[in-house]
Order: sequence, then structure tokens, then C-alpha cells
Amino acid sequence: MSEVVENAPRPDGSGGGSSRLLAAPLTFVGRLASSSMLRYVVRRVLWGILMLLIVSALTFVVFYVLPSADPAQLRAGKGATPARIAEIRHTLGLDRPVYDQYWLYMKRLVLHFDLGYSYHNEVSVRQEIFSRLPVTFSVAIGAFFIWILVGIPVGVISAIKRRSLLDRFTMGVSLAAISAPVYWLGLIALFLFSKDIGMFKLFGGSGSYTPFSQDPGAWFSSLVLPWCVLAAAFAAFYARMVRGNLIEVMSEDYIRTARAKGLSERRVVFRHGLRAALTPVVTMAGLDLGGLFGGAVLTETVFNIPGVGRFAYQSIIDSDLPSIQGTVLFGAFFIISANLIVDVLYAFLDPRVRY
Amino acid sequence: MNGLTDQRRRLGAGSSRLVWVLLLAALAFAVVGCGTKSTGSNKTQSGIGVDGAGGKKGGTITVLSASDVDYIDPALAYYQFSWEIIYPVNRPLYGYKAGSNKVIPDLAESSPVISADGKTFTVHLRKGVRFAPPVNREVTSADVKYAIERGFSQSVPSGYAGAYFSVIDGAPTTSPATPQPISGITTPDKYTIVFKLTKPSGVFEGALAMPLTAPVPKEYASKFDSKKLSDYGNNQIASGPYMIQNDPKTGKVNGIGYIPGRRVVLVRNPNWNSKTDYRPAYAEKIIFSEGFQDPNVMTKKILAGTGDVNGDSPPPATEMRRITSSSTLKKLLYFTPASGGRYIPLNTQKPPFNNLHVRKAVAYVLDREAMRKTRGGPIDGDIATHFIDPSFTGKGFEDAGGFKYDPFPSKNHTGDVAKAKAEMKLAGYSNGMYNNKPQVVMVADNTPPGSNTAKVVTADLAKIGMNVKVVSVTHPTMYTVYCNVVAKEPQICPNVGWLADFQEPQALLDATFNGKNILAVNNSNWPQLNDPKINAAMDAAEKIMDANKRYQAWGKIDQMITETAAAVPWIWEKQPSLFSPRVIPAVQAWNGGAPDVAFMSVKPGK
Repeated sequence: MSEVVENAPRPDGSGGGSSRLLAAPLTFVGRLASSSMLRYVVRRVLWGILMLLIVSALTFVVFYVLPSADPAQLRAGKGATPARIAEIRHTLGLDRPVYDQYWLYMKRLVLHFDLGYSYHNEVSVRQEIFSRLPVTFSVAIGAFFIWILVGIPVGVISAIKRRSLLDRFTMGVSLAAISAPVYWLGLIALFLFSKDIGMFKLFGGSGSYTPFSQDPGAWFSSLVLPWCVLAAAFAAFYARMVRGNLIEVMSEDYIRTARAKGLSERRVVFRHGLRAALTPVVTMAGLDLGGLFGGAVLTETVFNIPGVGRFAYQSIIDSDLPSIQGTVLFGAFFIISANLIVDVLYAFLDPRVRY
Repeated sequence: MNGLTDQRRRLGAGSSRLVWVLLLAALAFAVVGCGTKSTGSNKTQSGIGVDGAGGKKGGTITVLSASDVDYIDPALAYYQFSWEIIYPVNRPLYGYKAGSNKVIPDLAESSPVISADGKTFTVHLRKGVRFAPPVNREVTSADVKYAIERGFSQSVPSGYAGAYFSVIDGAPTTSPATPQPISGITTPDKYTIVFKLTKPSGVFEGALAMPLTAPVPKEYASKFDSKKLSDYGNNQIASGPYMIQNDPKTGKVNGIGYIPGRRVVLVRNPNWNSKTDYRPAYAEKIIFSEGFQDPNVMTKKILAGTGDVNGDSPPPATEMRRITSSSTLKKLLYFTPASGGRYIPLNTQKPPFNNLHVRKAVAYVLDREAMRKTRGGPIDGDIATHFIDPSFTGKGFEDAGGFKYDPFPSKNHTGDVAKAKAEMKLAGYSNGMYNNKPQVVMVADNTPPGSNTAKVVTADLAKIGMNVKVVSVTHPTMYTVYCNVVAKEPQICPNVGWLADFQEPQALLDATFNGKNILAVNNSNWPQLNDPKINAAMDAAEKIMDANKRYQAWGKIDQMITETAAAVPWIWEKQPSLFSPRVIPAVQAWNGGAPDVAFMSVKPGK
């Protein structure tokens, strides 16, 4: 019975049911390999590269056009003469025209994947960012799982139990979570649950980050609080978004048709309603995760986690252009990549999408 | 805010780098400022500092900091926090005991032998001081000579080599690409180094205690120094009781004991001979753990014993109030004069401040008590009435009039509007009010506490009719784009201050008020004061070799500067250092009260 129903075409003509689900991956691969899809991907990659160029150029312009501290003076120290500063400016290449500096930077980047050296401590920016990426990935992916695993179910339950006490409670809590600044929530979490300064000594505190390769247990303990704090606002936002989407979808004609055909409410919600309601969530999740890969600045700062976000923050404080440029480019790269992946995934999630 | 976060030894923007932390701290400071009496006068907790006596050998000390060092190379490091690390790792010719600002021999065997004309300094070195692995050999005078020479090169652009060591005969006037010999430094034998100066210099002995004189092995370092920008700092060789944990085969420290922005780990230098050193070096290991941007968390960790001392930013005012009100906790908090202070420079080259009476009017009208509250109130320091601060006790402070000298007095330092208006009338403003032609421009910090100080100044100047236009920028931008650049300097820079590099009044007053030191770029003479009498007095004072007479001369100069009202001093800050209950404290009194890890120790049984 159900098989027959699920195989029946949906009111929008796209088909549905398990046989389509089984066929979908094959369809997706097939579509990916199709010339139109490939053209689309290539086009998007080229646009992405152009976007990275624009972002890098904008970073240069912002650094030079807006009032920003002079790295040569900062490096020179208070006793340096103007001649000395001019020498430092020359050594750092800061006396060249901005377009020339930009050209050299891009040349090194493209030919050698060289992001330059920090004005601040002469270390390779690429090395600095790469050494911090696993840390930032750890923070972002853990938080991502939490906010997805919490946000979506809460949103679904709230939508199903619309206007119930549970709905009002969860939406109230989510509003509070969205409104609570990360740094405030972080401090509360530390003062309550960290092993060193917390009232209930449960998890690692500020500065306790340990790489997974050194001690998986300590790694997990050090990240529980940052994950929860970072995930809180995201989970709340996703819950509200899923709830809103699902309520809207559940009023669609094809849902009414599915119900009229005798499908159980669970099947209606999960097979038909949620599928459509989650499509924008995938877009958001991809972009949010991509953005976090560029660094969770506040969370990393409050919990003293040596990730890309904290590095970016310190680079801005130090007016360290190569480091700023490197972190901005990496952030942009992840966001653009996430955007591309999400757009390609749409072909899988929504068969109506054409490229 | 106090001196601990002061990059390049200029007074910095704030104790924490996060805007929100600053906001919270400013709020908290304001609360404390309104409700707390000075704790800085507590005899047992202030004075000049503590010396860490009585500790046990061994254990680990953890210093918590918000930021990283500015540079890890001893010749480049020019930041209070950096020197906490540089000094235990290196042996400059001269140094200081914890809790003292008296210069004593370190790598040098004794005080320098100074020729009668004050132009030749001969220093004899200790025997038996050895470099850490992988160099391992004994330190010689050639290593000190090379260390200074490299500071003049483009590849190692030391921030202060030119200021204090260019007096050496043959010092480069334009920097060579890589280190080159300086003819005025000679090494007659392995343990003797001779400096020939172009003129007598009373402060040169003090300068010999700076990290630039710490030995660097040329045969090892030259391959790093020959690069466009030297990488020696990341591969440095220690000579002090500690070394940054390294690869014993290559000497590399970056990625091993120094993880930029994360930590610096000091371990014992296996070649250190305690008989050659005045430092006890009790601890076995010292960890500088960085990235604690939140001062509340940092403070709680120290009180809980998971950190041992604040390295570069003070406890927030709310915590300070809690600590000082507890008989148990207040024993853990120490205040040290910061070797300098903050002042409001008035650009003497631009109207209306090219008029002495207008400047005096400003000096009278400013409410210094309100300004102090923007940084925490009495807990942050004493109200300044001239420039040589109490950390120079016995070295010029009394000669400048001590706490009694105040040429622009007002009741409780809250400002005297009547006297200010009287000065404005003398300046030609008949009703005592400024006509705003031209309008006064001020470039100030865009974050508290500096922005709050600017607000107080703006409100005070309105009392004499000045409607100030405020340009708000970041703290480094304020310095490097506006206030340090003569062509762009506005009439007022309300968020500047100065720390002396060592305890000589010249190090406090010369760069900041001598007309010959007005530089087109990187200028620190913010009022652009160019008074021939003061210039001449400074030139004469710096050549006086007798210390007491020199201090007297600089004390007089301090008063001369103050009376020009070219700058209005308003606070002599004190550095709060919070130590955990598990350690015996020690501070670098000469470095604004930063913790001295070479003297700190873990308490027995902890």
C-alpha cells in the first residue's frame, strides 16, 4: 500500500517515494556528470576564483585607504628615526605602490601558494593558518553537529505541536539563546562548568585546548563548552527556521493530498513536509559551517582556543597585513566553497533545480 | 590601564584587546573609581616591588597573558611583556634584581670603568658564562659586540639601538642590510669590551642594561641575520638561566618552545652556571600561556592556582575591588610604579596652543580626578603634577618636587575654571572664553578607557569655550597615523603616555620634550616643544656623569617643562600584579612591575 502511494507522482509532478529516493543518488551522479552540470560547476569555480581576487583586492584597499596603523612604525619602535622607518618600510615592501604590492602578493600566492610572512613575528602565514585549521575545524564541526541535532528536532516538534506549551517554551528559550551574546554565554559557561574556575568542575576551561592527536579525552573535554556555546545561537535560529518552514510547507496542497490519500501523519511530516522544509536549512548550514571554518572569532577568543579566528583577531590588532590577508582569503575560500557545494547539492535535494 | 600592555614602551590603549572587555572593564573601573580608596599606598604591597626571596627549587610557574610578545628576538623585543621572557633567557651586560631598579652587573663582572672625559666605557665580562645548546661554548666579548652591531642592521631593526647606542663612535647613520662592524666597539680580549663614544653620555650605563647587549654568537646567528629580515629570534641561543625550549641539534625554538600567540615555554639552560649569576632561577619550568583575552577568567584562574601571575594585563576593577576588600586575597596583589605616566600634550606649533596662556588655561581647567576615574580611579595610580614619576625615587623624583610640586593647583585636582578663564583673558580672549577660531581638533582612541578620557577633556575644555572636534580611531592608528606624524598631528592627543626604558630621567624626558627630537615621522615629542632654554638644559644634563648632579639637573628640567604647560600630566600609574597562593612573588620593578620569573618560586609543599 505504502509503496504504491510513495511511488505515485507528487502534485508538483516531481514524483516521490522510496523508489525515487533510491534512484536519486544515481540521478545525482548522472546529473553531475552531465555537460550542463559540469559547465555550471566550472562556471561557479571560476566565479569563486574571481570572488577571491576581489576579496583580496578589497582587503588591500581597506588596509591602505581607511585609517590603519602603520606597520613600519609599529615595527620600528619608539626610538626609531624617520630614516630607519623608511628602511623598514622598504624591507617590508611597503614603499611600493599598492597595486605593485598586490601584484607581487598574488603572484607569490598563485605560483607558490605563499601567503607571505607575518610583519609581527616573521613566521609563515600559511604555516600559521594551517597549524590552526584543525583547531578551528574541531570547534566548527562539533558545534555544527550539536546545532543540527538540536535545532532541527526542536523546530519539528515545535511545528507539530504548534501553539502548545512545549512550542512556546522552546521558542522562548531559542529567542533567549539567539539574543545571548556568545562572549557572555561563554563566560557563564566557564564560571559554571569549567574544571579550573567553574562551580561544577566538569569540562576543560579557557586555554585547555589539547589536540586530538595528543589526548582525545582532553580534546573532547576542552571543546564541550565551546561547542555548546557556539551551537546555542545557531541551534536556536535553526529551530525557529525549521519551525517556520515546516508550518508553511504543511499547509501546501500536496501535503493535504498526501493526507487525503491516507498516509500516516508521521510519513506526511517526515517524508513530504520536512524534506521540503529542510532545503533552505541546507543552504544556511553550508554557509554557516563555511563561515565558521574561517574562524569562530568570539568563541575562540573567550575560550582561548588557538584557532584561525583568534589569529585573525590578533592580526587586526597588530595591523599585520599579511596575516589579515591570509585569514580573510581563507575565510572567503571556505564560504565560497560552501556556497558551491550547497548549490550543487540542491540538484540532489530538489529535482526541480536545473543548471 | 597601566603599563603592562604597552607595546614599544609607549603607554597602550587598554588592558584587553576586546572591545567588549574594555567596555565591561571601563564600567567596572568607574565603579571602583567612585567607591574605593587607593590601595596603592599599602606599604606592604607597594613600594618598589617584591624580590621573591624564600622559594624552593623546582616546580613549574605559569604566567597568563592576553597577547603574544611583540618580537622574540632580544634585539627587537621592545614590549614590557616581551622583556619578562627576554631577561631570564639572556644576559645583558647589566641587569636588575627583582624588586629593585638599581642597575647591577649581569654578564659584566663589575660596573663599567668610565674615562675622565666620560667618552670611554670599559666593561669586563664574567668568565664561565656559556651559551645554551647547540652552541654550548663560552660567551666572549665578541658576542656582545656582534649583538649590538646587528641591532643597527636592516635585517634586525632594533627599536632603540639608534636612541641609546648611536652615541657609539662609528655607529651607522644609515642601516646596512646586514650587521657590520662598529669601529667604536673594540674587544681587546675575550673578556673585555670597550665602547668609545662621540660625546659623554650619562645614560649610557643604563642603556647597557637593555637586551640589545645580550650576547649573540655570530658564527651561529649570521646565517639568520643575513636574510632580509632576520629569523634568529625563532632560532635563538640563550645565555641566561633559562632558554626557550628548543631543538637541541638545530636551536630552533619556533614550533617547539615558542608557539606564536599560544605559549612560550622556558626550561633550564643546561649550560647555566649559577655561580656566575645573581638570579636564583628557582623554577624548573616556566610557561607563558597566551590568549587569555578575558581578564575575569585570567584573574579567577590565578586565584584558583591554575595560573600563577598576570603577565600583560591587570585584573579587572571588579575583581580588584573584591581582592582588596578581602584580608586573605589582598596579600596576593602587588602594586608597582609604572616608570612613567600619561599626559595631555598640546601642540605648541598650532594655534591656539602656541600661546602659553591658553595652554595654562587648559592646565588649570582639566579635571584630573575625573580623568583618573576613566582609568579606574585611585587604584590605577596617583595624580601626576609633573613628569618624573615616583618610580624615580632617589633618581630625580624628589629633585623635581616630588608629590608637592604642582604649578597648576586646584581643589582636589578637579580643575579651577576661574583661573583658567583668567589665563584666557591674558591670552587675549576678553571674556575668558575661546572663540573657536581655529577649531581645536583632537584625535582619540575609539574604545574605552581612552575614549572616556577624551570625553572628560572635551567637557572640560568646553568650560573655557573650546568646542573640540574629536576624531576617533584605534589606538595604534592614533599613534602611527596622527599623533606621531608631525604633518598630521592635531592640537590635542589625549591618549598618549610614556614609559622610561630604564631609570634615568633622560629616558623619560629627552625623546618627549627635547626640540631636537621632533621627527617628521615616529615623533614622540607630541607637544612639539622646542624651547631653546630647555633644549640647552637637556644637552648639558645628559653629559653630567655624576649621578646625583644629573638627577638634580633633570629635576629642574622637569619643572621647566611642566611650567610651559606644553603637556598636562594627569596620572602616574601603578602596575597591579596578582600572584597565585602557590607562588612566592617577584616583580621586575624596573619593568613597571612585570613578574620576574627568574626570582619567583613555588612555595614549599605546593
